[in-house]
Amino acid sequence: MPWLTLAIASPLLAAALVPLLPARPSRTPFALALAATAVSGVALAVTAARFDTSAGMQLVEEATWIPSIDVAWRVGVDGMALVLALLTVVLFLASVGYGVGPRPMTRGAAGVLLLLEGSTLAFFLAQDFFLFYVAFDVTLVAMYFLIALWGEENRRYAALKFFLYTLIGSLPVLLGIIALFLTSEPQTFDMTRLAAERPLAGAGVGASLAFLAFFVGFAIKTPVVPFHTWLPPAHVEAPTAGSVLLAGVLLKMGTYGLVRVNLQMLPDAFAEYALPVAILGLVSVLYGALVAMAQSDLKRLIAYTSVNHMGYVVIGVAAAAATGISSRARDLAIDGAVLQMVAHGLVTATLFFIAGFIGERAGTRDLGRLGGLLRPMPWYGSLVALTFFASLGLPGLAQFPAELQIFLGAFDVWPALAALTVLGIVITAALFLLALQRAFMGDTPEPLRRLPDLRRRELVAVAPLVALFVALGVYPRLALDLIDSASWLAGG
Amino acid sequence: MPNGGSYEQAKAIEEMMLRELAWLWPVGALTLAAIVAVVMAMVVPRDRQGIVGAWVAGAHVVAAALAVGVWLDRGFMAIMEGILVVDGLSLTLTALIGVAGALTVALARPTLAGTDREGEFYAVLTFASLSAVMLGMAADAALLGMALGALGLSTFVMTGYLRRSRRGNEASIKYYIFGTVAGATMLYGLSWWFGLAGTTSLEAIGQRLAEAPDGVVIASTALVLAGLGYKAALVPFHFWTPDAYDGAPLPVAAYLSVLPKLAALVALARVLALALPDDTAGWTTAVAVISAATMTLGNVAALPQRNVVRLLAYSSIAQSGYLLMGVAALEASDQGLPALVYYALAYAAMNLAAFAVVLAVQRERRSVDLEAFRGLGRAHPWWTVALVISFLSLLGLPPLAGFVGKLELFTAAIDADQAWLAVIAVVNTVISLYYYLRVIAPAVLDRGPEAPETDSWTAVAASAPLTGTLALTAAATVAFGLAAEPLLRLAERATMLAGG
Repeated sequence: MPWLTLAIASPLLAAALVPLLPARPSRTPFALALAATAVSGVALAVTAARFDTSAGMQLVEEATWIPSIDVAWRVGVDGMALVLALLTVVLFLASVGYGVGPRPMTRGAAGVLLLLEGSTLAFFLAQDFFLFYVAFDVTLVAMYFLIALWGEENRRYAALKFFLYTLIGSLPVLLGIIALFLTSEPQTFDMTRLAAERPLAGAGVGASLAFLAFFVGFAIKTPVVPFHTWLPPAHVEAPTAGSVLLAGVLLKMGTYGLVRVNLQMLPDAFAEYALPVAILGLVSVLYGALVAMAQSDLKRLIAYTSVNHMGYVVIGVAAAAATGISSRARDLAIDGAVLQMVAHGLVTATLFFIAGFIGERAGTRDLGRLGGLLRPMPWYGSLVALTFFASLGLPGLAQFPAELQIFLGAFDVWPALAALTVLGIVITAALFLLALQRAFMGDTPEPLRRLPDLRRRELVAVAPLVALFVALGVYPRLALDLIDSASWLAGG
Repeated sequence: MPNGGSYEQAKAIEEMMLRELAWLWPVGALTLAAIVAVVMAMVVPRDRQGIVGAWVAGAHVVAAALAVGVWLDRGFMAIMEGILVVDGLSLTLTALIGVAGALTVALARPTLAGTDREGEFYAVLTFASLSAVMLGMAADAALLGMALGALGLSTFVMTGYLRRSRRGNEASIKYYIFGTVAGATMLYGLSWWFGLAGTTSLEAIGQRLAEAPDGVVIASTALVLAGLGYKAALVPFHFWTPDAYDGAPLPVAAYLSVLPKLAALVALARVLALALPDDTAGWTTAVAVISAATMTLGNVAALPQRNVVRLLAYSSIAQSGYLLMGVAALEASDQGLPALVYYALAYAAMNLAAFAVVLAVQRERRSVDLEAFRGLGRAHPWWTVALVISFLSLLGLPPLAGFVGKLELFTAAIDADQAWLAVIAVVNTVISLYYYLRVIAPAVLDRGPEAPETDSWTAVAASAPLTGTLALTAAATVAFGLAAEPLLRLAERATMLAGG
């Protein structure tokens, strides 16, 4: 049974079926979206059960597609692809459960969500550059419509900016792919082969240009300062589930590409530029944290903390790129970076749900106008506190082991830089505590006294994410055993 | 025949030429179709002239089928002493012209039904297709000039079809004057070549030009480029495009944006490869520069357009620039010509789909302003799907035909050491996002006027050819991208013969 293909095909086929459903409002589109996502989840669970943690790229499914340029349907998993695909399905289950746009979910919303899900899974599972790029751009179109159709007031502007920036990012990636294709012998789009053969090995001009092309593309997606300016409007204007998916899954495409392509296929060029990349990561960490501190809109604040948290991932990847020799540091850094992708996906998704809940109830997310929320909404308040702590990296919650590993890895390479990175954590801790104080402590303003606490639908969306980030915090081996970069990073 | 040949020699050559006619079946089919169409237009009563359209469309399809037949059955050959080249390139173009020509007839039928010279229009369109086919086969300077002239004459008539429309008249006059001047300039340039080489055979000219002084070669080539560049709407010969597209009946604009343009680009590829072999006088760089200028100007000029036909006109200029990347790469990379051929096929599908949607909107809402597209998604979801598909494909997004085309073109450019051109094309792609989205966004995101009450069956039947074409071209845009293999293999085999 081609489980990986099934995981990708299930949402895409469902998306194709959606237009055939009757036009009148019904629960069928919702049920279809949920069922298709569940099928993907089962397929990936089976994959995880069959997964051999000591092997590299595995369970590859291949079918001919365009043989004349050696493009094929190639999907497979290694530790990183598997955990990110699992994260994708978890977040899509939560988002579909919570819904987008009017209730019951419309055909359009279900179709766009399913298209986004299928293409995102295809991106993480792709082992062929053609498929990789197709998936990359289809997520872009689907996310554009998700923001532009169901977003908030300035959705058109935010959606256009998102489309424009990501397209600017994706086209250099295309040029980089072509460069790898042209230099491979015989020419191929097979990523497994390109990672093993590394046609642009060495650090010549060609490798540097290709590295730069890929880096710009993935840096915009991640986003790394100064390529981040699309992110705040997109996250703020997107509907709740859109922000969840954007921050939880789509940002990971950037860092995933950084590892999969820049690190695995262009290691020599990356080694040469590792320090500048790490410095950009550090700038993202500090700048993201500082700007987040200045925000009063809760959603915007969370958006900027994403810049901060993804900065750690970039530093981790750069540290791994710099350590050709010390493989312990390299494995630590990459394991940490991948774990951080997962942890940030779970935590930030929960944060955006939280911001959506309060925005929906109070009609505002302005921290200056919220206050004393703990009294009318104790459950909600506890959830927020827990998630804020998770996001600032409290031990026992998922981001702590991830960030710790990244620091340890980075410390081996650039002690000073690693030390400065810790500053980011301090600032984040401060800003989350401040936000908690402003919104939840003190007197409750009159209009907020009667706000209802968590609803069942909201709890259902959030509970699995919370359970997972607590579990990963207590027992990170749950994910680390799967990730285990030592077995695949070298192109095994 | 040279004087002094014996009777036997002359007879043998005559027999050979008769046998060679078998390679010209597609040309014969179109010629016959055009002549019969003229007669039919005279005898068929006015309310039945649709029959002429059906005949002409059928003949186009038959010509395409015959082109396939020649390819499979007889293979490639330079015939008529090397004046005409029947090779993979020209046969692919012939098949493309056949299919796209039939589709434009289907597009035109609902618009033209009941107008006063409908039948004649179809006849002229067939002559235009015939000239375009000849242009693609020409390996001889004189024939090249004639084919281009005939193509110009017939498309001029088509552009001015709406006699009472002032804009239509202006458009066709502008188009004609530009065309005549550009055509004459090309003939002048060809006369230099003839003077240098003493023959009209492009290949023989190529051998002489290699030895001629660079200045002379550059000057004469620039003159020749004017004629073909004008037909393909290349900068700086593009000025007529938006006015002509806007003033002409919309189906004619669709025709102009695909058939003459692709024929001219194929002819350009052949002329440059034959007459200027091995990058004589550095023409590849010059063509690359023209390509960059064309795509940049087209995209930038499209940005402020509110009239969607003018927007598509500038978009088609930009697309000419992309197509020209294939020509610029064809000397240095063996991927250049296949990229050109594949992108030509993809472009034909997606551009016809785009025009079909705009035509459908124009017929219902009597406007092609951006406003007219507001709320299209609610009123006509399927048109909107076709609109999104065709525009995103023109933009070059995967998995659509335009993406695979750009992938091929970029690959060819980088392979030909013209990575800078690929970078410029990338920048242009980003620019083009703005105006393509400018049409898509109000169509999908806005609410607009509701659909008119259910169309009467007569109205549905009347626009059936249009709807069919719309569905077919949009489906092709998706299929060419998702299942690119057959087309890529075709493009690889669509090679050029040297001629005689």
